Amino acid sequence: MALSKEIYSVFEDVVGPENMCDDPVIMPSYFGKDFAAVILPKDTKQVQAVVKLCNKYKLKFRPICTGWKGEFPQGIILLDLRRMNRIIEINEKNMYAVVEPYVISAQLQAELMKRGFHFNVKGAGTNTAAMLRGHGHLDQTTSGDDRNHLAIEWVTPEGNIVRSGSLGSTDEWFSGDGPGPSLRSILTSAVPPGSTPGVFTKGAVKIYHWPGPSRFPAQGVSPNITLSEIPPNFMARYYSFPSLDKMMQAEFKIGESEIAFELMGFNIAMVASNMTVNNEEDEEVFRQLKKESQGVGFFIIIAGNCAADFEYKKKVLKHIINETEGKSLESIEKDPRNEGILLHNCIRICASIRETFRSGGRFASIPSMGQRDLTVRWAVGAGKAKRSLIEKGLVVDDEGAFFGWGVEQGHLGKTEIFCRYDPVKPEAEEAVLKWKAEQQKRASDEHYFAMLWGPEDEIGKGLCNYQSWWSKLKKAIDPNGVALEAGSLV
Amino acid sequence: MSLEQYQDHMEMCMRCSCCKFIPMQRVQGHKYTYVCPSITKYNFHSYSGGGRLNIGLAMLKNGFNYTDKLLDIVYNCQMCGACGVSCNYAMDMEVMEPISEFRIKCVADGKTNPALEKVITGLRKQGSMVPVTGKRGDWASGLNLKNAVKEKVDVLYHVGCLTSYDKDMQRLAKATVKILQKAGVNFGIAGDNETCCGGRAYQMGYEQDFLNQAKKNMAMIKKAGVKTVVTSCADGYQAFKVLYDKFNLKGDLEVLHISEFVDKLIKDGKLKPREKVDLSVTYHDPCRLGRLGEPWIHWKGKRLSKSFVFDPPKEYRRGTHGVYEPPRDVLKSIPGVKLTEMTRIKEYAWCCGAGGGVNESNPEFAQWTARERIEEAESTGAEAIVTACPWCEKTFNETIKGNGSGLKVYDIVELVEKTI
Amino acid sequence: MIEKERLVTIVGPDKVINEPQVLQAYSQDMSFVNPVRPACVVTPNKADEVQKIIQLANDTQTPLVPVSSGPPHFRGDTVPGIGGAVIVDLSQMKKVVFVDRARRVAMVEPGVTFSELIPAVNKEGLRLNMPLLPRKSKSVAGSILEREPVIMPKYQWDISDPLACAGLFFGTGDEFRTGQAAGPGTLEEQWAVGGVQKAPYGPGTGSWHRIIQGAQGTMGIVTWVSMRCEILPSLEEPFVVGSSNLNSLLELTSWLIRLRNVNECFILNNTNLAAIFAKKYPADYQNLKDSLPAWTLFYNLAGYEYFPEERISAYIKEIDDLTQRLRIEAVKTVGGVSANDILKAVQQPSGEPYWKLRYKGACQDIFFLTIYDKLEGQIGIMNNLADKAGYGASNLGIYIQPVVQGTSCHCEFNLFFDSGNPIELDRVKTLSASATKELMARGAFFSRPYGENAGMIVNRDAATAAVLNKMKNIFDPNHVMNPGKAGF
Repeated sequence: MALSKEIYSVFEDVVGPENMCDDPVIMPSYFGKDFAAVILPKDTKQVQAVVKLCNKYKLKFRPICTGWKGEFPQGIILLDLRRMNRIIEINEKNMYAVVEPYVISAQLQAELMKRGFHFNVKGAGTNTAAMLRGHGHLDQTTSGDDRNHLAIEWVTPEGNIVRSGSLGSTDEWFSGDGPGPSLRSILTSAVPPGSTPGVFTKGAVKIYHWPGPSRFPAQGVSPNITLSEIPPNFMARYYSFPSLDKMMQAEFKIGESEIAFELMGFNIAMVASNMTVNNEEDEEVFRQLKKESQGVGFFIIIAGNCAADFEYKKKVLKHIINETEGKSLESIEKDPRNEGILLHNCIRICASIRETFRSGGRFASIPSMGQRDLTVRWAVGAGKAKRSLIEKGLVVDDEGAFFGWGVEQGHLGKTEIFCRYDPVKPEAEEAVLKWKAEQQKRASDEHYFAMLWGPEDEIGKGLCNYQSWWSKLKKAIDPNGVALEAGSLV
Repeated sequence: MSLEQYQDHMEMCMRCSCCKFIPMQRVQGHKYTYVCPSITKYNFHSYSGGGRLNIGLAMLKNGFNYTDKLLDIVYNCQMCGACGVSCNYAMDMEVMEPISEFRIKCVADGKTNPALEKVITGLRKQGSMVPVTGKRGDWASGLNLKNAVKEKVDVLYHVGCLTSYDKDMQRLAKATVKILQKAGVNFGIAGDNETCCGGRAYQMGYEQDFLNQAKKNMAMIKKAGVKTVVTSCADGYQAFKVLYDKFNLKGDLEVLHISEFVDKLIKDGKLKPREKVDLSVTYHDPCRLGRLGEPWIHWKGKRLSKSFVFDPPKEYRRGTHGVYEPPRDVLKSIPGVKLTEMTRIKEYAWCCGAGGGVNESNPEFAQWTARERIEEAESTGAEAIVTACPWCEKTFNETIKGNGSGLKVYDIVELVEKTI
Repeated sequence: MIEKERLVTIVGPDKVINEPQVLQAYSQDMSFVNPVRPACVVTPNKADEVQKIIQLANDTQTPLVPVSSGPPHFRGDTVPGIGGAVIVDLSQMKKVVFVDRARRVAMVEPGVTFSELIPAVNKEGLRLNMPLLPRKSKSVAGSILEREPVIMPKYQWDISDPLACAGLFFGTGDEFRTGQAAGPGTLEEQWAVGGVQKAPYGPGTGSWHRIIQGAQGTMGIVTWVSMRCEILPSLEEPFVVGSSNLNSLLELTSWLIRLRNVNECFILNNTNLAAIFAKKYPADYQNLKDSLPAWTLFYNLAGYEYFPEERISAYIKEIDDLTQRLRIEAVKTVGGVSANDILKAVQQPSGEPYWKLRYKGACQDIFFLTIYDKLEGQIGIMNNLADKAGYGASNLGIYIQPVVQGTSCHCEFNLFFDSGNPIELDRVKTLSASATKELMARGAFFSRPYGENAGMIVNRDAATAAVLNKMKNIFDPNHVMNPGKAGF
């Protein structure tokens, strides 16, 4: 729905004509939706001004960062935060970094590594927003979800600027909570469904010690990037196990012994995708790795702060693997090239796209965060159901695998199962969506975890009717109803 | 090929935004991570590689709606290929081909840019992509060079439009011939018979005009019996080596860029870099010598049903086999030259700004792009930026004049000329 | 106002108390808030009783003040802010619902104290991430809900840790469970498939546990909490580092936490260390204090199941490199206090009398969050103010606790005083207010606003306060929950 000339020019006055567009021709690149306009604000003040105008003219709006995913109704104002791309601060002593929404993880990670730090890069990939709430390969030692955020600068749906925690009181970013109860209860920037209305214009994230080199010794020409050497005190392995139980035992022991820098519950199919540079090679390597594998498994990176630490961790790992009858994949252990590739890709998180989209162009997933062993039990059933889709040739064959990992040394966890399929085949998409709906319902009916997508009233019923509280909150902070939930901040 | 034939590739685009950045493995910090000049300047996703695919796909499905904004998006692109390289580190799909086909379709449907129309009119009349003054072979007067059309030579030196006609760039041609003479190469030029390779016309979307030029050039080459073409223009290199091959016009012709040729001559001992050239430099990879200069891969096959896998396996051109090391080896062989690399190099180099018709249709954007590159070059501490394409050099020089930078600009042949 | 009879029908006659001496005890605490006598005290045993009390309070516009710890109280949050209040004392709800070794989680009712829970978790090979020497009567749930700093910053990934989930009733009387506990299913149904209420986020996108933490009972009443536990080490090796140079100790601290080498880790000044370990006052205390360096960093290295000696040995090597660089030394004893004594002490609640009260009988705490770079300056300011006020900087107890894996520091000044001495009382009260104001101006973040300074603290950030007030109006629209507290 087009804005009137008058209203259009009022917005244009704020950001300049080159930073606003309502031409239908750009909309296919913005999710194919017919937005009222796409606006590119450059800073918090411009965001505030735009939001206030949206309130004045009762126009709904949504922000995006790189904008990989999202749910967007027609006719709204889309705030593309691309111009807000600065790293504001890196506090090394107190270990946090402050970023604007369009700083991608690759940029922040590279800057941090120069200084001996890194941070939680989301599994979606290093090409996504650093500020994103989410999970990733590195959760074991860098936490996940909303637990990495400290202070957040938030333009509320009404256009007020709220600076949470210490930021509002002392102009420092080290705490996002208080005074009193914490606004981080609602300041979460998840991908839909459900995320904080308004716009996050800056956020502080925790950073963590990086025992590796200031720059990865990457060599080669894209896409064949390898490491010229395995960095000192680093080791990467993939272990398969004779049973899911054994694997989970190993996973828990590794968590409790705090030896893993990264523990990524890849399945073999994902390892193959990650390592290889095209689909054909992917299939070939998958076949090869399957031969070496005895069952489910995980990928692990050991990183020592010093040689003694490294030796200790390796010793413990060996012990645990022996105890749980794990078997190391020779293609990684005996081939430093492969070890290096995985080490690099699984720390820089630059190969997620290979694992998910390359083969078929589309994938549908059911992620679950929380209690690892519980979600694994559910995933076993979902995997069994996936096999029938594989047999019918509707999804890429990964043997019905699921994946996941421990978070915070195994205190929490993440389990995900996805289907990769060909977007050109409507029957594939239909079957996958049906499988997804059935398995989510089963998760809910059998009390594993809640359905993530669906009518909020339906989902909320089984979850202490949280949606009614959320809806009241939304009304209170967005009286004009202009701030749709935060869209995609991926 | 046509746009329709790339529909399934366009459908593979997941809007991951990798096309806006250098390949993720290469990111070394906050700065110098953007790789696409178009979206870096214009910011709307539509200007990115992925955005162009999204729009192309939508128009295939819903019909073509040529608005001013669409044409602004289409023509404000240097067709530099960086988006495809970044995408293809992870994805198996064509990016530059559908983008190119989209532009070709715009031209075929009469949706052209007036500035480019003017250039192509000149091409059709005079066989040149730059304004013509005098004769094409005038730069060689008094040099007594062999006429490759009339005499038997081993190597045809294709000079290129800009180098032939631009008074400032003619020195590159002269330096090149000096080098070839010093190495004792049996070479000749086509002189006034030389005509534009057609490469820039293709970039601009004028496929038929490109094909006309290509056929003219190949006819001349066949008549002359030349087996090897050497050029000092990256556009020319890509035209002869890649585009002519793509359209099955190249045959067995060996195509070398002067940097490759010089590298070989030095390694074979036929050229000896003797004189010291005290200069700290950084090297700019021209798009069409680097990522877009890699050989064409002819492939025919079918897509297997269950995934995006082909039979026979489809090999993608990911920018990996361009000419990267030879110019570097040449620079390293010059005594006194100290090479420091920029952050964005090789297959993920930042474009100079001149390609795709942008130099003609939007000089301000071209110069903005060049300014970004100059700044990156200056950040290395180098005294000079060296490149291997006269269009890059011209754009850098114009930009430096405008912003008062002290950075010097050299073509690689200029430094080789100094050292031999 | 609720009539007593209506409360009796909910909790029974024994659980509704009107005796004047009891009401007197609840009308004040060790803080400087004005005493306000409650109307009565109820001591429910079950969650549904709590719900009914809240519903009744809404019907009758009766303020409720939730209390879960036993006395003495220090923060003013358990003293009614308004007349006619009913104290809801949950300290009799003492069930340890479960302790789960494999998933490292325990669930308790609000009345369970540290003394009661520690043996229960130890039995399962687990331990708690505790605050520093809580008083014997301190409720575990209370401590967690107050966001009290914990002494193992390595295991505090988020400021809300060690809280996992909570069961509560909002000020509206509606039941809610946070995090994984929300569902699907009842707690029993979740347990039946192996769910243990561990994941704190959700339900939905909200992290609801964060709205009840730090709220001082102004949003609702919690009837159980689950918390993450850590594994009991199989081997421990504590150390102390004494120095007059706080900066060196902070530098070492930041590295110890960054490298994740240490479990317990905190800094105490000589005043506080002496206050904890002195056996007699004042002589023993003074002698001990004089024997101690100005600052003592305490840290503990731990090994678990696999090769604990080697693990600790590797850490020691690494720490040696750090201490050498900083020209300080990790030792086993400073002054008259050994690292082992400290370790033994801090893995339990405080002995009786509560360590903060031993010296003078009363104590006022001033605490805030800050970052390393600002800390010395803020301590300097406090010292000046203490001297100016006649309190004397050398009498200040100081406790520095890195929190949330070192992203900030809890800094606490403990002002010991004789509450029976009106001059001392007045001095400390005035100093507390002026110090809070001055420290706030210098970057101290008072994230937990208590007592009469709460208003000043909250008003500094009007934008946040505005949103919190909106939330308060949703969860407690009739403002029955502890009115006047937490800045509301």
